[in-house]
Amino acid sequence: MSNDARTDDDVYLGLQQSEEFAELRTRFRRFVFPLTALFLAWYFLYVLLSTYAPGFMGHKVLGNVNVGLVLGLGQFVSTFVITMLYARWADREFDPRAAALHARVEEAHR
Amino acid sequence: MGRLNTAYGVVAIALVCLVTLAVGSFGLRLSRTTSDFYVAGRTVTPYRNASAIGGEYLSAASFLGIAGLVYTNGLDMLWFPVGYTVGYVVLLVLVAAPLRRSGAYTLPDFAEARLESLAIRRLSTILVVGIGWLYLLPQLQGASLALEAVTGAPGWLGGLVVAVVVVANVAAGGMRSITLVQALQYWVKLTAIAVPAFVLLGAWFSDGAPGPAIARDTRWEEPLNGLAGQGHPVYATYSLLLALALGTMGLPHVLVRFYTNPDGRAARRTTLTVVALLGTFYLFPPLYGLLGRVYLPQLPDGVAADTLVLRLPMAMVSDGLGQVLAAVLAGGAFAAFLSTASGLTMSVAGVIDQDLLRRRLGRLTGEDFSAAQGFRLATVLAVVVPYVASRVVEPVGLATMVSLAFAVAASTFCPLLVLGSWWRGLSTSGAAAGLVVGGTLATAAVGITVLAGPVPGWPGALLGQPAAWSIPLAFAVSVIVSLATPGRIPRHTARTMVRLHTPEDLVLERG
Repeated sequence: MSNDARTDDDVYLGLQQSEEFAELRTRFRRFVFPLTALFLAWYFLYVLLSTYAPGFMGHKVLGNVNVGLVLGLGQFVSTFVITMLYARWADREFDPRAAALHARVEEAHR
Repeated sequence: MGRLNTAYGVVAIALVCLVTLAVGSFGLRLSRTTSDFYVAGRTVTPYRNASAIGGEYLSAASFLGIAGLVYTNGLDMLWFPVGYTVGYVVLLVLVAAPLRRSGAYTLPDFAEARLESLAIRRLSTILVVGIGWLYLLPQLQGASLALEAVTGAPGWLGGLVVAVVVVANVAAGGMRSITLVQALQYWVKLTAIAVPAFVLLGAWFSDGAPGPAIARDTRWEEPLNGLAGQGHPVYATYSLLLALALGTMGLPHVLVRFYTNPDGRAARRTTLTVVALLGTFYLFPPLYGLLGRVYLPQLPDGVAADTLVLRLPMAMVSDGLGQVLAAVLAGGAFAAFLSTASGLTMSVAGVIDQDLLRRRLGRLTGEDFSAAQGFRLATVLAVVVPYVASRVVEPVGLATMVSLAFAVAASTFCPLLVLGSWWRGLSTSGAAAGLVVGGTLATAAVGITVLAGPVPGWPGALLGQPAAWSIPLAFAVSVIVSLATPGRIPRHTARTMVRLHTPEDLVLERG
């Protein structure tokens, strides 16, 4: 039992230290962490604009609709766009690579 | 304002309750295994799952609370719906995939699997139950308010109705029946808030689209006006936004929904649909707030702003139509209380049953009880405590109460989940210290706000919206203590991390 557990841990360690796995993780971090920071910054920017640039936010675009309202509704739209970007990236970039890694490990393990 | 005809309201609410029970018992026949019971066998399609998430997430705070907040405090309050939606995206990109791969059913399961410590599991259990109760409380208060406003029933009745229906459904059917009920309830809620909104907008246009009568304060239309009694609106808004964005991942009833997805692709489809569904719904509550400013510039004394949505139709259109619309809205509001309360109860009861009750019951009865009986008892416990609290605690506003639950979740589970899935250096001591510090600080701030009422100046702002300081502090404590106790890093961390970050069908599963 304990022997099995050790070899098993070794396999995991091996995979974790492998170049492919490191690359996969770096790719994920390079995309996801900046994306998260960017979209949080965008929400916080809106709050700042509302406070310190009321003239800009109050600028009438069409009838009673001002910039603030447009940007406010834009927050929902942008949330949707961000989620879509992430989903597309994961479908096209991340999943195929993860699957390829999976296949290689499977092969090596046989 | 005409007098409300009680009959319509009673019929609408009774109908929603009965349909909920009927659909729930239909789901009962479908639920066979443990996995069915807790996570609906992971076989729910993305679209139905998204409807269910939307159904579960749109609570009393969304249906009644936001309109009330916009009405009293102005347009800043739009931050609530934006924050509620953003939380889902943060959850998706940062923790959803590793969590699903961990194979755990609940937050305590994940905590134990990642940190290999029973003590951490116990801490998480206490937090799940605490956050769940904090979130159930406003649902039950909202039900009491709504029933009282629509039918004049005594204040204790509305919460009791919701409590009884929820216990019946959860105890009987588990997750699969709940999923069906909640998917249905999203569409009930959207219809119930949208149709009256269009009728009322029509009435407003035919009145010549009058502007709001800003009776109380001319600052109402301005952003960050500080009307919410917060002396420091920029700080308060930032802190709130942070709590909502980072707290969603720590809500027990939200997270379990990501386990009901079969794979990562489905989880992403689900989230995309959820964001669209929530965004659509959230267009309406602010509309009620704005119309409220026009037609009901002054609510009678002793009437909670949270009931604005229900009162507006009677103030705007002819008696008969107004009564029908008010009844539709009341039915929708009840759908909101029921679906959110069901999801929360399911999660809290699951944890109470698994971690607190099972062994004790076994000892008391000499193993003479079935697993189902234990879960049913846990379900009753999960609902009775917040119900009693909802009768004792002075209401502070539905959305405010909910945001406090978010703050506690963000100060505890957010550091645990983010560091747990992304940092190999997290030690058992570090995680425990983070949970204790974040949990204690946020809970203390919440306790003071709820029990002692508003405090003036900076201390009040800091206590009223603790997230902006309690989240970074919890992160810092976790990291510093982890760095100081490298010997307490769980033994199988490397193995766990690979498991969390590679596709679930990976070869190593067989190890």
